[in-house]
Amino acid sequence: MDFTRREMMVIAAAREIKDGETVITGTYWPILASLLAKKLHAPHSVLVFEGGIICNWAPTRTPLIAHDPAMLSCSVLCGDLFDTLGSVVHGGWADVGVLSASSVDKYGNINTTCIGDYLKPEVRLPGSGGASDIGASAKRLVIILEQTRGRFPEKVDFITTPGFLHGSNSRERAGLRHGGPCAVVTDLGVFRFSPVSKEMYLHSYHPGVHIEEIKANVGWQLKISPRLNETAPPTTQEIKVLREEIDPAGMYLRDARLDGLLTSEDKSL
Amino acid sequence: MSTKVMNMQQAIDQFVQDGDTVFLGGLVAFEPYAAAHEIIRQRKKNLVVSKSAGMLILDLLIGAGCVRKVVTSYIWNPAYKPAHAFRRAVEQGIPHRIELEEYSFFTLGLAYFAGALDLPFVATKSLLGTDILQKQLSMSEKIKVLESPFTGELATVIAPLKHDVGIIHVQRADEEGNAQAWGPLAADRWGIASCSRIIVTAEEIVPSEVIRKDPQRTILPGFRVNAVVEEPWSSHPDYVPGFYDRDWRYFAFYHEATKTLEGFSRYLEEWIYGVKSRKEYLIKIGERRLKELRAKPWQSLPVDYGHYPIF
Repeated sequence: MDFTRREMMVIAAAREIKDGETVITGTYWPILASLLAKKLHAPHSVLVFEGGIICNWAPTRTPLIAHDPAMLSCSVLCGDLFDTLGSVVHGGWADVGVLSASSVDKYGNINTTCIGDYLKPEVRLPGSGGASDIGASAKRLVIILEQTRGRFPEKVDFITTPGFLHGSNSRERAGLRHGGPCAVVTDLGVFRFSPVSKEMYLHSYHPGVHIEEIKANVGWQLKISPRLNETAPPTTQEIKVLREEIDPAGMYLRDARLDGLLTSEDKSL
Repeated sequence: MSTKVMNMQQAIDQFVQDGDTVFLGGLVAFEPYAAAHEIIRQRKKNLVVSKSAGMLILDLLIGAGCVRKVVTSYIWNPAYKPAHAFRRAVEQGIPHRIELEEYSFFTLGLAYFAGALDLPFVATKSLLGTDILQKQLSMSEKIKVLESPFTGELATVIAPLKHDVGIIHVQRADEEGNAQAWGPLAADRWGIASCSRIIVTAEEIVPSEVIRKDPQRTILPGFRVNAVVEEPWSSHPDYVPGFYDRDWRYFAFYHEATKTLEGFSRYLEEWIYGVKSRKEYLIKIGERRLKELRAKPWQSLPVDYGHYPIF
């Protein structure tokens, strides 16, 4: 069965969510991963979106953004940021946060602010949104991004969202209560973090991906797990649900949301 | 007729002055595009614009040269593409350099909350260890790290944010300005309450009796409000729950159209300076598209607050 690297990435990320968990979902790839988990193996999971939405039912169309109108007809609570980022996340009830990232470093810190100097950057990125809050207070964090060497620097230029900061117990010393990344899932493999040093290591390589390609796309000398194995390939069910129910129009998987025209002759949602 | 009811051009002219600190509500839902377009049309200058996530509204205001400083947590095109005018300003100083005060979404919401309630400051765990705290000199007067006087644990403390003028867009309001909204409210309740002067724009102005039949929906009481504007489709290309969908194709169009400086200038000429009002803008969008975007009903069951007999 054929599958794309993007599909493998979303499926591998979905597997990180366990049934019954309260999930704080950032925008972009996390939306697909969270919805896929809910439809497959985590039907009792509760999805929380930072602007005030808590949902325990699947939406009828692909949400194109975190507060897509589609979420309104499947939510149990519609309030404001204090209900979600406040009570659920800061209050310590978010079992897992799922975030995308512009770049991630050796200790799982995420940069979505700038490449280069903050005051005169080479590249200006969007900013934190709720990501920094989620990184601070979710009990664990899953990070999803498409991997290039440039997006895996040894040390990010700007720590927008805290991972393990400078490694070891630097999170605790900075005053954070709990949390930290448990997985970085890319289109090449799955990475985890050493329990003591908090340094990222390769946990599994996706089917069809060579370890040399992964190493070439990491900006430091990547540690490899002694128990390294291949990520379990997508099952027929995982691919079917992803393609037919989660993103049937390829809005994310094929970037169909960018086929922008002002008329409607073409695809509908 | 109440003296608060006026059109968008009058409200912006009277209540938004050059140099003001302006709070704009909305986060995907309730985005006040119509108000932002009018601010640009009236060529307001040197504004400090505060919005929980700037999205394309801040991109437009920055690119149009209206802004001296932005206070926000995020500026990006919701098609998951960069906000080009924002990037040009920060990377190249085009049209001019802007000051940035960046928070995370929760800490910005807390700053609005503190401003609304006039609290001395509020405390949180967010931002500890991050460069939002450590590398932004502009934030050193807004966010500090202290030890809790109760437990000794480290906490970030956040100064209150207040604004000269605020604008929110809601589904309905009465002529007094009692504003009702349903949908993801983001930080709007608090951001708007932190403002000295307030403009409420609404899809429709309704009789006060409608407000009084469901007071739980009110996010802002009328006694705070200076101007009420009835302006349907104010949030296009984004959405208002129950009224219209997101025009998702428009974001891809905006991404392509504004990639270059010339393209951005052409966009402003065509969609903002070249139309006199939101009504003219809607003619450009076209009735066919508006018809596609209009929301079909998904109504709740009515609630009953109870009718209580006289003694």
